[in-house]
Amino acid sequence: MTQHASAFPHKRFFLEMFTRDISVEDCILDLIDNSVDALIRTRNIQVSSLLRNGRPTKGKATRIPTVEFTHSPNQVAVIDNCGGIPNDLVLNDVFSFGHTPEYELGALGAYGVGLKRALFKLGRHFVLESRTPTGGFRVSLDVEKWSLKDSSPEDWYIPVSFIEGVGHEVDAGTSIRITHLRPEVIQRFRDPMTLKRLHDLVGQAYALFLGKHVRAFVDAKAVEPLTVPLGESSEVNAGVDEFAKGGVKVTLLTSLAPRDDQGEWLQDKAGWYVFCNGRLVVAADKSDLTGWGIPPLPAWHSKYRGFVGMALFQSDDPLALPWTTTKRDLNRESPIYQYARERMAILARPVMTFLNRMYPSEPQEVPADRRIADRVKPISISQVAARKSGPFVAKQTPTGEQLATVRVQYDATKEELDRIRRRLGKTRMSATRIGRHTLDYFLKRECPR
Amino acid sequence: MKSLAQSYLGVNYELRPAKQVERRMIIDALHTLSLQGLQIRDYQYTGFGSVYFVDFVLFHRLLGIQRMLSVEADTTIEKRVRFNKPFKHIDIEMVPAGDVIPALSRDLRHLLWLDYDDRLLDTHLSDVRMAAFHLSRGSIILVTVDVEPPGDSCSDPQEWYAYYQRQAGNLFDEAWNLQDFAAGKLPGVTGALLARAIDSGLAARPEIKFWPLFKFLYADGHQMLTLGGMLGGDEERRLIDGSKLNDACYMRLDPDAPPYEIRVPKVTRKERLYLDQHMPCCNGWHPPEFEFSADSVEAYREIYRFFPAYAELLL
Repeated sequence: MTQHASAFPHKRFFLEMFTRDISVEDCILDLIDNSVDALIRTRNIQVSSLLRNGRPTKGKATRIPTVEFTHSPNQVAVIDNCGGIPNDLVLNDVFSFGHTPEYELGALGAYGVGLKRALFKLGRHFVLESRTPTGGFRVSLDVEKWSLKDSSPEDWYIPVSFIEGVGHEVDAGTSIRITHLRPEVIQRFRDPMTLKRLHDLVGQAYALFLGKHVRAFVDAKAVEPLTVPLGESSEVNAGVDEFAKGGVKVTLLTSLAPRDDQGEWLQDKAGWYVFCNGRLVVAADKSDLTGWGIPPLPAWHSKYRGFVGMALFQSDDPLALPWTTTKRDLNRESPIYQYARERMAILARPVMTFLNRMYPSEPQEVPADRRIADRVKPISISQVAARKSGPFVAKQTPTGEQLATVRVQYDATKEELDRIRRRLGKTRMSATRIGRHTLDYFLKRECPR
Repeated sequence: MKSLAQSYLGVNYELRPAKQVERRMIIDALHTLSLQGLQIRDYQYTGFGSVYFVDFVLFHRLLGIQRMLSVEADTTIEKRVRFNKPFKHIDIEMVPAGDVIPALSRDLRHLLWLDYDDRLLDTHLSDVRMAAFHLSRGSIILVTVDVEPPGDSCSDPQEWYAYYQRQAGNLFDEAWNLQDFAAGKLPGVTGALLARAIDSGLAARPEIKFWPLFKFLYADGHQMLTLGGMLGGDEERRLIDGSKLNDACYMRLDPDAPPYEIRVPKVTRKERLYLDQHMPCCNGWHPPEFEFSADSVEAYREIYRFFPAYAELLL
């Protein structure tokens, strides 16, 4: 005789287990994803144009929508005027776990888990209010109380009250207020580093949206978008590759980073930046996730700190994109990502060849190549992305120029170098640069042409 | 002391009979495939022409390939390389092969011969993997490496095991043990590693397979292994199957088949003329006029069509 085993879900699973694999910061990003998705939907933003468009003029910039995160010991809130959630979505989609096949996915909301997971992870009570120009709804839920009844599918319904719309697009938006915060969330926010981290993560995740389509604030502080340090010069051309596969369009860019004001490359800025539908998923990655250590790319080494690569995946079907449900990691099994990673490595290789040539033996740089690297300046990514595909090129220095230089080497104590660094106020200046600087100083003072 | 990579200084590339037989067999196979519809004339040939360009001359003259690129990593001989370029249309790149592979056009079909003259290195496996991923459908990859035991004459399988493990990295098969690294098994291990590099490169291209064509083993001094095949799908497989290539003794369409060993018997000019008059001979035939083992007869019967004739030329 056949009997049937229960495979029904339990609320406890969603409240206690489901929320374990995500950080507080990523929960906030999930809530902001909802705002950005509303923005894309209501303002008809083309994800494919994110790279191409520049920033709006100052006057216009102050009129673009905002999304604000605020927190106090009792509450975290994300409030936007990004257009709101249409009423027809609230009854069957906004609160269900996962989407029905008929649901029209947003650009960022792919899995139908982010909002719920964030609400449950952060606190025990929430109020979600959303208004479009024509309608609105309000949900106020005591999660603790709601979780007590869990014996039939009816117990999973959440009460919704419909309210009036705001009449015009400018004020249309969503506010989410979560109270009765979980103790671990309060604890995380007690650490000031959490807010700083969140601030940086928002600047990273929405780098392509901020300033152009939306302004973001974390505890009233405006968030500046992360700038991917991609550079070029008259001698250096970025590598560009574009292809489409399985409904996903991929744009790849590789080049050298511009040096900072101390003439150095910053190791923490180097690596691959991977975007899915405009949202940054992985920043400055130097691991095997982006191909490092998998032939033909070498394992990451500090001599590659001048390398910067961007990989942009776009699709109308966000499920085809290679991001994980937290959208802060890549799905290594994704066929499009497996393929793209090989092409990323191929586009990156000429940059490695240049850097290998530049640093035949650490820490000295080949002078001619150093001059090429010094001249690399920040560039507009939109301009590079609009260019035809082609490899990274760093024009080789003519042999004559190389022969005209002599390598100067001598020992100096660490204390001597530190004294010079302190005098110049450049605490990270390399020994090589100090050598060059002091030589230039003498040449200028004592040997004028 | 000259390095392995400078073998062009020690061996006149034009006078390596087994290598020349290999080239002629490859040309024979490509010719057979072209009769089946393979547009080999439109392929780009990329190889290591060194200063002799033997393969370039043959592929241009006998297969009609026009688009050619010779890659040379040794920048100290740039002028020699350019001076010896036999045809105007050959492009030269003075960089390692790994720098050229990513730049090979995806819009063309390629015949790429990574004809290394040193023992298997990690960079070779990286190049092969990259070529398998990057080259367009229908392209043909050939890889040649030295399969002599690495290290000096006192080295043993333990050292060879360590050497191959170091070069192979993640491609190394952890199921291998010391017995797999006996001197006579090194060609097999090398072939397996090259095949694994190709598989790894193709992992992200599920629609493309590597259809094996060649697995040569020969020695004009050092023992060398050449692995070759075509990147493609069912269409390319049908082309290969329809070409009757399988009838040729030197073809290796089965990846697990042992290599075809190119054996070049040493014969005088007079013996050669005699033998040629009786070729192709029946099984069991042997020249009544001079001593010549049954093995040598069989070897000669297989290679005589491809066997180069050398003679002194007084210019």
